[in-house]
Amino acid sequence: MSLLSWTTAAIVGGIAVPLLLLLYFLKLRRQERKVSSTLLWKKAVQDLQVNSPFQKLRRNLLLLLQMIVLAALLFAIADPVARFMRRPEKNIVLLLDRSASMKTRESADATRMDAAREAALDFIRSLPGESRAMVIAFSDKPEIACSFTHDKRRLEQAIERIEPVDGPSRIGEALQLAVAYSSNLNDGSGAAATDAAQQGAADLELFSDGRIADAEEQSVTKGNMRFYRIGEAADNVGIVAFDIRREIDRPGVLTVFARVQNFGPSPVTTDVSLSLDGKLLTGSGTVQEVALGPAESGREGSAGAGGGTADPAAPREEQLPDARNVLFELGHEQAGTIEVKLHREDAMMVDNRVAAPIDPPRELRVLLVTDRAPVEYYVTRAVRSFDVQQVDTLTPARYEAIEEAKLTAEGRSAYDLVILDRHDTDRLPPGNYLFLGGLPKVDGVARGDEVTGTPIVYANEAHPLIRSVNYEAMFVSKWHKLKLPGHAQSLIEGESSPIMVMLTDPGHRYVITTFDVLESDLLISYAFPVFVFNSLGYLAGGGTIETNRMIQPGATITLTVPPGATTARVRRPDGQIDEVPVADRGTASYARTSDTGLYRVTYDDSARTVEPFAVNLLDAVESHIAPNESFEVGSQKVASISGEIRINQPLWPYAIAAAIAFLLLEWWIYNRRVMV
Amino acid sequence: MAVSRKSASQDASNDRQLLSPDFMARLEQLEIVSRRIHASRMKGERRSKRKGESAEFADYRNYVIGDDIRHIDWNIYARLDRLFLKLFLEEEELSVSVLLDLSGSMETGEPAKSRYAKRVAAALAYIGLCNYNRVNLYLYNESVFGRLAGLRGRRMVGQMVRFLEDAPVGGKSHMAAAAKQFALRHTTKGVCLLISDFLDKGGFQEALRYLVGRQLDIYALQVLSPQEVEPDLAGDLKLVDCEDDDMAEITVSRPLLDRYKSNLQSYCEAIRSYCSQRGAVYYLARSDSSFESLVLTYLRHRGLVK
Repeated sequence: MSLLSWTTAAIVGGIAVPLLLLLYFLKLRRQERKVSSTLLWKKAVQDLQVNSPFQKLRRNLLLLLQMIVLAALLFAIADPVARFMRRPEKNIVLLLDRSASMKTRESADATRMDAAREAALDFIRSLPGESRAMVIAFSDKPEIACSFTHDKRRLEQAIERIEPVDGPSRIGEALQLAVAYSSNLNDGSGAAATDAAQQGAADLELFSDGRIADAEEQSVTKGNMRFYRIGEAADNVGIVAFDIRREIDRPGVLTVFARVQNFGPSPVTTDVSLSLDGKLLTGSGTVQEVALGPAESGREGSAGAGGGTADPAAPREEQLPDARNVLFELGHEQAGTIEVKLHREDAMMVDNRVAAPIDPPRELRVLLVTDRAPVEYYVTRAVRSFDVQQVDTLTPARYEAIEEAKLTAEGRSAYDLVILDRHDTDRLPPGNYLFLGGLPKVDGVARGDEVTGTPIVYANEAHPLIRSVNYEAMFVSKWHKLKLPGHAQSLIEGESSPIMVMLTDPGHRYVITTFDVLESDLLISYAFPVFVFNSLGYLAGGGTIETNRMIQPGATITLTVPPGATTARVRRPDGQIDEVPVADRGTASYARTSDTGLYRVTYDDSARTVEPFAVNLLDAVESHIAPNESFEVGSQKVASISGEIRINQPLWPYAIAAAIAFLLLEWWIYNRRVMV
Repeated sequence: MAVSRKSASQDASNDRQLLSPDFMARLEQLEIVSRRIHASRMKGERRSKRKGESAEFADYRNYVIGDDIRHIDWNIYARLDRLFLKLFLEEEELSVSVLLDLSGSMETGEPAKSRYAKRVAAALAYIGLCNYNRVNLYLYNESVFGRLAGLRGRRMVGQMVRFLEDAPVGGKSHMAAAAKQFALRHTTKGVCLLISDFLDKGGFQEALRYLVGRQLDIYALQVLSPQEVEPDLAGDLKLVDCEDDDMAEITVSRPLLDRYKSNLQSYCEAIRSYCSQRGAVYYLARSDSSFESLVLTYLRHRGLVK
């Protein structure tokens, strides 16, 4: 046991004890009583020596009890704790997980974050006086709540200020930050910093539920990491995937997809509903019942279980999968906000609803820039086979010469998709471009050596552009190596260089084929219409909701600003409004997306365009709230120190209780005049 | 030492007067007894142990030169031819003095000690007057402040009662000074009854020495109130002496009360011992005890009256 505030207790005691004694001597408001003579009384008093102060002190039970009460109160003020764990090292970095799973409700009035804060505060209070600590709160990004300090009050205040966010849990940057700060202790100007640094790297004290997505990718090279497991709750059902599409051939029909997963230990049945603009839809199939088995069953959910209803052939709970896909169909030709909601109270509510803004179905306009008839023929034919309102064709020379007004509208490209055949250009108003053998003249993109005769070895089949494209049957005789920026995404790879890449710049998306289409069989293969279909859907937004308007918490969204606007105003789900300055090239970046919900963006005058975007958790790692007993950082297993959160057991309530008990005893004795 | 309290209720009914007619009638049967032979200047009704000139024959003795020849029994001389003196019992008066403490401490107690003391003094004085004793009343606190001396005969009863009734109570107590004054002023031998609570910070020994030195037949009556014998105090108190405002701060506790009672008992025992060693008689009475019983029974048994 140790006293955390013994100096306070000593000061208070130094004042209170003499005060009590003084009061004890002064407190007697003796009642006057006339007697015939004090002769015999004085003699009796002298005989007993009761006038002697120390005799009084020795014999008076009430004073003894009062002293005990005072001692108990002083003991309580000294903030005694029973210490159950070893003393920590002198340089400490406290890592507090504040990801979405820390919002899990552990009891009626406390979340997992509350427990983590309490545990961290207990830890800080138990630190020896010479220790120094810093506090880092992290979800997907770290934030230094308090830099290295000896001041426990500052540390406690910093911990108390930490609030959970809706973001995923990623510890990598937090660890880097912790290591950087620990290493820089040597650079401190004060002697104390040097002394502390000599004692080695800081120890990492992690307060988390252990659900950290990138833990295995990290490593702790300096100091030790201790993991304090926070939380007990495991009951949670969440939506882990969500998508809305408009079919190209049926643009008035929305298909809403949601994947519901049970992370709890018990089978559950829940309703999943569909709402439009905040109103629950009442039509057929807009509320579906989903039965899910327990997460421990180990079975994977049936990924294409359409309809969303439980399989009637699986009456027993243990046969149920722990995840199901739910599909809704909705006829709606206007803009709005689609919301899917789970009607179930569980420990974590942030993953029980997802939302996304939708636009009205667009009538697609496609511009083809080519001077080659075969290309014009095949591309035009492929495009026209889908519901595209307008397909214009320009020669490259004409494209470069045409007036700006015909290419742009409201600061963006007037066409939903521009297909350029073997034409390098820098005339690129914000929009979507498909370069067939050509290149956008942008920084970091340059053509390299020619490559021939090597096969296609890889394609990113999960990408919407390549989905269902039979690339293996495609033949390409030669192509060029490309010099590309680091964020370029390879879609199809040859043996030594990419054949098709995707490049995203603010306001622009480029898909580049590094080969001339007439030197491949792409135009005449069955894959081409599929590729065009995917391009129309993904690039032009035809039939699918723009995925960049639905992001995960913590992600940065790039807003395309209308011409002339200087400020974007973002109204957050909690009602706060952030003003975002418009950067060059008519874009604005917004990163305060830590809370889930619908964000509304207006530009300068709020009466003008409103562009909502949605932030949804959609993170199976976060939704799996059952705390981990241990997790691995790199190859190092970090086990939780104890199921109990508390490091110190405060004893002051017992001291207060003892003080009250002795006070009552004194009161009783005084009234009974026992030994008075 | 204790006095019966069974007639306390009867006394209560007669509180307004010092002596009730019934009680006076009973007192008339009594007389004060002196254990010494006193040579009084005046003859009285009291048959003295001294041989004197009364009509009552007492004895014979041989004649010696110088004897009053008027007392020679000439009949015996005629028969025996020898001179014998015929002795007769002397009838002399008895001096009865009451030294009554009326200091402030005598006013305390419930019932008040002064009232009780006045009654005892009145009763003894009444007995003395009825028996033609010479009755002297001395009232004192710091000194003798009231004196009614030389009362004789029943006709002085009214004066005696008024004197006692009107006597004020208060002031500090100085028993020794009062006894000294009394001893200097009162040279006649006789019975002296000292009535006091004896709670005198100057001590009682010196006072009694003055009285003993006068060779008086001394009776010391200590009157204590029930509150002094059995204090009903509790808590933290500041006791104030009613005479000199001296203070004693006490926290009443069982050991303190026990110690006080023990001290009181020792004090009373010390007075008794002092008195018995010097031929004085000591009485202790509580002011709530029966005053009539004290006089008629207790003092009678102790030989002050018969």
